[in-house]
Amino acid sequence: MSNKKIAVRNLRLCTKDCLCLYVCPTGATDTENSIIDPEKCIGCGECAQACPSAAISLVPVDYPEQQPKTAAVVSALNAQAQRKSYTEKAASQIAAMVAGSGLGYLLEAIGRSERLVTEDIMREAGYMLPQSANVRQLLEDLVANPPTPSFPIETAKQLLKLLP
Amino acid sequence: MKYVCSICGYVHDEAEKGIPFADLPADWKCPWCGASKSDFSPQEEKEAPAPIVTDVPDLSETHELQKLSAGQMAALCSSLARGCEKQYKAEESRLFKELADYFTRSTPAVEDATVMSVADALKEEIAFYPTLKATAEAAKDRGAQRVCVWGEKVTRMLYSLINQYLEKGDQMLEGNDIWLCTVCGFVYIGKDAPELCPVCKVPAWKFEKISGRN
Repeated sequence: MSNKKIAVRNLRLCTKDCLCLYVCPTGATDTENSIIDPEKCIGCGECAQACPSAAISLVPVDYPEQQPKTAAVVSALNAQAQRKSYTEKAASQIAAMVAGSGLGYLLEAIGRSERLVTEDIMREAGYMLPQSANVRQLLEDLVANPPTPSFPIETAKQLLKLLP
Repeated sequence: MKYVCSICGYVHDEAEKGIPFADLPADWKCPWCGASKSDFSPQEEKEAPAPIVTDVPDLSETHELQKLSAGQMAALCSSLARGCEKQYKAEESRLFKELADYFTRSTPAVEDATVMSVADALKEEIAFYPTLKATAEAAKDRGAQRVCVWGEKVTRMLYSLINQYLEKGDQMLEGNDIWLCTVCGFVYIGKDAPELCPVCKVPAWKFEKISGRN
């Protein structure tokens, strides 16, 4: 695992003081979409130190191994995630039928809330980081055994190619 | 005596407020999160220890992952899409979103779903939190404990809201908007989003308005 880091910019915090443009030795911070160019960034950290809005942070290129989870915790979390995905489906199903009404909005909110909580549970159940061994294993399993014929297998293959 | 809101942790201290909890009007709302009076419980109350999950297949030797349902996979993939977005990996985020959409479409429809059955499903989730919490505590897994702290409050609020709807119908939404905390999922009914999310403490701009005010 290398210690190499690269800079990322939080566009919501960026106040366009543009000091990062003055201090960057490779021009990585000067891009048409405001995303720091990962190809050019050498991880020196000058931009992060110069930024008056603390909008730039340094993240590692290689992430550490994820925290181990016990089988009991994973099993309990998955059980709750399954309940929640059922509730999400029931709520969003009814919401679609009564769309535009007060009840429709409330059930839409409940369905989306349940999805957010389930996402949080799945992160704690071993899938926190996209660049982790668990996620790679999962994608490889999906490519080897697609759940249905309509599974977008090329999408999973592309992800395996892009994720380190 | 002190009464604690099970949603956001607001404490009604009878001595300090000079009003016994029982004397508060029936339609009194938690000043922080708008939860109903019935969402409060006395602070002294000690809960009985919950059972923990022990009956689990040991997959550690086989490197096999637990089989996940389409619904679980949908949330897993949309979570990873969010994770990539945070790292400004737009292409990876889009691809995970595609997988999430596939799994969302593949989630089987719930037969005979009603508002009542959504309320019952939420009740079942709430009933499982003590076991989930006890299992996380036994494993000293503080991340999983954090998921319980947030998730239980959010779920209780959803249960409270759906019961209010069953009781009062559209009246509960009159003059209000529905606000969703896009970080923890907390749902709030009011004219404006809360200044801070009572569950995860993010600022108001992290809330999304779900409905337009009539």
